[in-house]
Amino acid sequence: MQGIKKFSSKFFVCAALLSALVTHGYAQSTATLIVSGEVATPLELKAQDLASMKQISHKVKDRDGKEHEFKGVALIEILEKAGVTTGAKLRGENLAKYALITAADGYEVLYALAEIDPEFTDQMILLATEKDGQPLPSGEGPFRIIKPGDKKPARWIREVRSIKIAFAKN
Amino acid sequence: MSGRRKIVAGRKLGDSRSIVTILATTFCAFAGMVSVTRQAPVPYALKYPANFGSRFTIPTDNPTTLEGVYLGRMLFYEKRLSANGKLSCESCHEQNRAFTDGRPVSMGVDGSFTPRSSMSLANLLWVRNFFWDGRSQSLEAQAAFPLTDPHEMGQTLAESVIKLQKTAPYPVIFQSAFGETGITEQNILKALAQFERTLISADAPYDRYLAGRYQPTEAELRGMQLFENGPDPKRGIRGANCGHCHGGPKMFKELFHNNGLDRAFADPGREKVTAQSMDKGRFRVPTLRNILLTAPYMHDGRFKTIEAVLDHYSEHIQQSETLSSFLQDVSNEEGGKNLSLAPQEKKDIIAFFGMLTDSTFVTNPAFSNPHSISKNR
Ligand code: HEC
Ligand code: HEC
Repeated sequence: MQGIKKFSSKFFVCAALLSALVTHGYAQSTATLIVSGEVATPLELKAQDLASMKQISHKVKDRDGKEHEFKGVALIEILEKAGVTTGAKLRGENLAKYALITAADGYEVLYALAEIDPEFTDQMILLATEKDGQPLPSGEGPFRIIKPGDKKPARWIREVRSIKIAFAKN
Repeated sequence: MSGRRKIVAGRKLGDSRSIVTILATTFCAFAGMVSVTRQAPVPYALKYPANFGSRFTIPTDNPTTLEGVYLGRMLFYEKRLSANGKLSCESCHEQNRAFTDGRPVSMGVDGSFTPRSSMSLANLLWVRNFFWDGRSQSLEAQAAFPLTDPHEMGQTLAESVIKLQKTAPYPVIFQSAFGETGITEQNILKALAQFERTLISADAPYDRYLAGRYQPTEAELRGMQLFENGPDPKRGIRGANCGHCHGGPKMFKELFHNNGLDRAFADPGREKVTAQSMDKGRFRVPTLRNILLTAPYMHDGRFKTIEAVLDHYSEHIQQSETLSSFLQDVSNEEGGKNLSLAPQEKKDIIAFFGMLTDSTFVTNPAFSNPHSISKNR
């Protein structure tokens, strides 16, 4: 089964490359990550943009019960790049801000900004692009959130498409 | 800080109380005079169980009112809104079929067929991306599609405005719902949206079960378990994992997936909206409320019966690059490739689906054709 999965993921990479070549100019077909909302600079990041940022990795047990090494960029770095109120600015009303993360299938999870900021927590949330040295397979990648401290991986959202920073309003 | 702000606000209110009173009195007197010709629309209270949650937004420029909802209902059943005067929304959305039409695809005014199957209109209040591919973001925007599509009702909104203006009842009803603006293109869309927001289905046996007022049969209970559980043959747990995509008290989660219907896609689905190749063949996961009333099934109506749907998930999932990972390597047999449900298990899941039939919803007179009612009187 694993074999088939690996094969199909390799096949997918080839197919993706091929179709990227064929449909060159169809800029959208390479996956992008959109960062929007209460940001100074809205971002549209591609895999290569993330590759040029500082890489970190986490060894964690996934849903399959096995340990995997996930590599990518600390979520906080991305928020800083977008000019979100982190660090010294994460006080007062900004503590009522959250990041709503949406996947390709519409699944959504939420983290409060203070859960992401290393001045508040030792749990560095990762936007992973690789698992065990390979790009994340289709259905999981190209971007996935890994939060080591969560006992249940329900917020380790796969196929991340967008991150929206917003104020909790009621 | 916020405490101080409140006090300040309170004092301001105190200082200006007398002014407010004067203003209010003047306003009431004025409103009293105006209301001789027109009463302000009355807010419509949307009622739904607490477990449905309130994650929905009603546009601030289109609050739900009794008058607006009534107008929307009139328009939903109004054939004048179609180019040939023969079609209304009801033609493809019949109440007794939970607002579907029993056909794989539907016929429009020009005699051609819609590319996709009609959808049930239940609990649209909680939907955020409309249609099988999620291309429309509000009920107001959505309504313009069927009204103007040449293969559906095929009439411009401007033409509809003119036709309605020539009738006796509509100018008055539009005024009661929207005031001075009267019959406009936007108000047609707004009224339809208001009516659609009231189409709440929350009285199926399943709702009563969740509220502790219904005792399911043995088969229904078994079906419910299978529906909710993911299979785990190593631990002897049998399941169908349907709830992963279709679950929750509303029997609806707004998700987009490729549920393995095809290897190659005649209809690219969600990809057309997002222009991302990973979305090829993904469609919105539809509600399973009233599912036994809404055959045939899927975006192209390919399955005539619910039994065929169960056979699909159990034995015929088609592999492709975008097949949902929740449908891969999920099996009731150790190392199995198919879900492999037993015949009795399929029957049990269908028995559970019977609990999702909301007869109150499909017979609610408030959702029925108001034109035929007035004729009967
Ligand atoms: C000719 C048949 C036809 C007519 C007439 C028609 N519809 Fe539809 N309706 C459809 C089809 C087909 C779909 C699915 C289309 C798609 O996904 O591309 C649909 C989808 C919808 C949806 C989306 C539901 C969801 O869950 O996303 C709404 C809302 C809706 N119709 C409302 C209306 C209204 C209001 C009218 C009258 C103004 C109307 N329809 C007239 C066939 C029709
Ligand atoms: C991966 C998510 C997913 C899972 C798991 C899933 N479904 Fe679906 N289901 C969908 C999607 C997506 C569609 C619409 C597909 C289309 O029309 O292209 C759908 C459509 C349906 C429909 C047709 C609805 C209609 O209005 O036409 C039925 C019935 C249904 N599913 C039942 C089930 C049952 C029973 C199970 C469990 C055995 C199940 N589903 C598991 C995603 C899922």
